[in-house]
Amino acid sequence: MQGEQTAPRGNNTGRELMHEIRIGEDLREKNEAIAEENRKLLAAHGIVTLNVMSAPGAGKTSLLVRTIPVLMKRYTIGVIEGDIQTTTDAERIAALGVPAYQIETGGVCHLDAAMVHSAIHHLDLDSIDLLFIENVGNLVCPAEFDLGEDARVMLLSVSEGDDKPNKYPLMFRESRLLLLNKIDLLPYVSFDVAKARRDAREINPRLDIIELSSTTGAGFELWIAWIDEFVASARRR
Amino acid sequence: MHEVSLMKNLLSIVDRTAFGEGAGPVRVVHLKIGEMAGVNADALRFAFEVMAKDSVAADAVLEIERVPLSIRCTACGVEFRPGGFVFICTACGSSEIEILTGREMEVDYILVGDDAGGADGAARE
Repeated sequence: MQGEQTAPRGNNTGRELMHEIRIGEDLREKNEAIAEENRKLLAAHGIVTLNVMSAPGAGKTSLLVRTIPVLMKRYTIGVIEGDIQTTTDAERIAALGVPAYQIETGGVCHLDAAMVHSAIHHLDLDSIDLLFIENVGNLVCPAEFDLGEDARVMLLSVSEGDDKPNKYPLMFRESRLLLLNKIDLLPYVSFDVAKARRDAREINPRLDIIELSSTTGAGFELWIAWIDEFVASARRR
Repeated sequence: MHEVSLMKNLLSIVDRTAFGEGAGPVRVVHLKIGEMAGVNADALRFAFEVMAKDSVAADAVLEIERVPLSIRCTACGVEFRPGGFVFICTACGSSEIEILTGREMEVDYILVGDDAGGADGAARE
């Protein structure tokens, strides 16, 4: 395949024999249209949806496993799990007794609105009022794909390093809440919490930030309170 | 790697446009990719090489124009290019800003040949 069809860039030879057709269409437009449909459908059923994103291993599933039992007292919860392969995450969630639908993306690095659209139809929407979508572990691609959620929540675990906001600005820009996870590991890693907070807020001054640990439960009361407040405000809209 | 699904969208946009206008063969596909777009230019080029073969853009050159990040402060109205990814107004310190450019991932235009031999030369005006 090498060396094939690679006329040099800016090669204008013969450009005068061509004419231009303006297009100006975004490659994400199709995704956005479906995301909007999802948003309407979920809102029509009174469902508040959070899209949970992070790098692989930052603790998305463990966060949900610790969060859901607390929330089950006041919400009926549903979960859509995105994974490139395997259904282990969905099994961990289903073991809690909440409906979990697994999307196996088959190699694709993020969930898109169409995948979520078909997943939604596997859930009993009338019996859910809070939906978590656990995205594929990845700090780049999921940020570009609106799923129809009400807000994006991202996790950054302290073992990943405090340089992540500047390396993956879009993810921080697009999120409503940043959870600094695994703070029980702070004594063992060189992670500057103040720096991470500062850098993240430069990229997104409105970002809420909560430090927590899914292992010890530290910070969970703040996270749960954030969800309660968010759900209440989403319902008022 | 989502460049393949984006490329699929790209080719269907190009296809629709070229056929819709009954244009000649597509020679150039010009893309705008923002500095802050979560897409890799090399992966896009590779996807184009592999996937354009069976499309209306089989003989086209893919041009990728990088668009720098620029923002506007909605509080004081100043427009500027931030150094790095700092979304705070350099003039008034406000964080009420909007991104003007730098998120693009769009097919800007295509160039089609005026020579005969297009997909459907007879349909041209």
